Amino acid sequence: MAGDVGSIPELDQKKYDSDEQVKIICLGDSAVGKSKLMERFLMDEYRPQQLSTYALTLYKHTATVGNRTVAVDFWDTAGQERFQSMHPSYYHKAHACIMVFDVQRKITYKNLANWYKELREYRPEIPCCVVANKIDADLKVTQRSFNFGKKQGLPFYFVSAADGTNVVKMFREMIKRAVDYKQNPSDFMDEVMQELENFDLEKKEDNSEADDDGLTAESPDVV
Amino acid sequence: MRFKAKRCGVLFSPPSIVLIYQHTETKKVRKRIIPVRNFSKYSDYSMAAERLKNHPRHRDYLECVSQSQLEKLHIILRDHMQGFSLEHSLASFHLDPDEDLNKLDDEELTRKKGQMDELFEKNRKRKDDPEFVYDIEVNFSKPVLEKCSWDEESDDEF
Repeated sequence: MAGDVGSIPELDQKKYDSDEQVKIICLGDSAVGKSKLMERFLMDEYRPQQLSTYALTLYKHTATVGNRTVAVDFWDTAGQERFQSMHPSYYHKAHACIMVFDVQRKITYKNLANWYKELREYRPEIPCCVVANKIDADLKVTQRSFNFGKKQGLPFYFVSAADGTNVVKMFREMIKRAVDYKQNPSDFMDEVMQELENFDLEKKEDNSEADDDGLTAESPDVV
Repeated sequence: MRFKAKRCGVLFSPPSIVLIYQHTETKKVRKRIIPVRNFSKYSDYSMAAERLKNHPRHRDYLECVSQSQLEKLHIILRDHMQGFSLEHSLASFHLDPDEDLNKLDDEELTRKKGQMDELFEKNRKRKDDPEFVYDIEVNFSKPVLEKCSWDEESDDEF
């Protein structure tokens, strides 16, 4: 099963079903500052885990929401945006999405529409926000209204990874929304997927019972 | 941080990276010439930059020089070894704001990021800056916001 994404421990996405785990994905064009935003938010905690085979970078973070401790995995692309679309596993089980554009480059704003369309194909309901980064380059942009987020009913943030403006606020609010969503998911697909996975496991268990040598690698996780 | 980098550049012969830095305590400004060894026109600029950044003799001086800045300097050195002019290298760093950077490969993207990183470093508030605040919130919502021209021409797209 070496080629199976699920068999790689750091990519075992079953953990995102547990109550204390959320997955937040970042979307946006190359060089809009996605990693720089992560770095600014995480500071000393910043330990990127490169999975170059998957053109993916993971960041782990521990957050306190209300009185609960939540483990947050941030998924960031490492050049995967070059393929104009992300692998489905990137969206799989995500609980929130941070969409970033560069206020100095119009094309990155225009491309939000494509990113958003793809996101909604996989995750029709998860909380999402629009982040206008690099406002330190020209503060005048904050006088303007960018309608893309408004039209979709998404929260909008003017931020700067360089001087830190609104970075922590944006991440904290998104973590909270991810946790809220998880407690009360409205994605019908989530439930369907869970049903399918349960179904799969039942089948596998059946098979393993039939296995004489009993050397089965599958441990039927409780879903 | 003992040393604050002021400026950096390259020397083509022998291939070196030049750093003008200030000692944070004595405030003395000095120049340090760091020879770039084992680097040829076939070398990987990114690995070479990383090696230099972690070099035990130089890393303290290079602490506030970003990895991408060092990559850019190595690209200039390598371009020179490959026979390209300095003007060519500098032009390749120039960023056209309308260009779709998603279409570039790693090296082309590094070249374009150079210019952006310069601005980033210039405006960057570091943790050890006295006025650094981790959670800095600014409310930009004004009663009347100018309409953004980016929304105008193809409003129906969104």
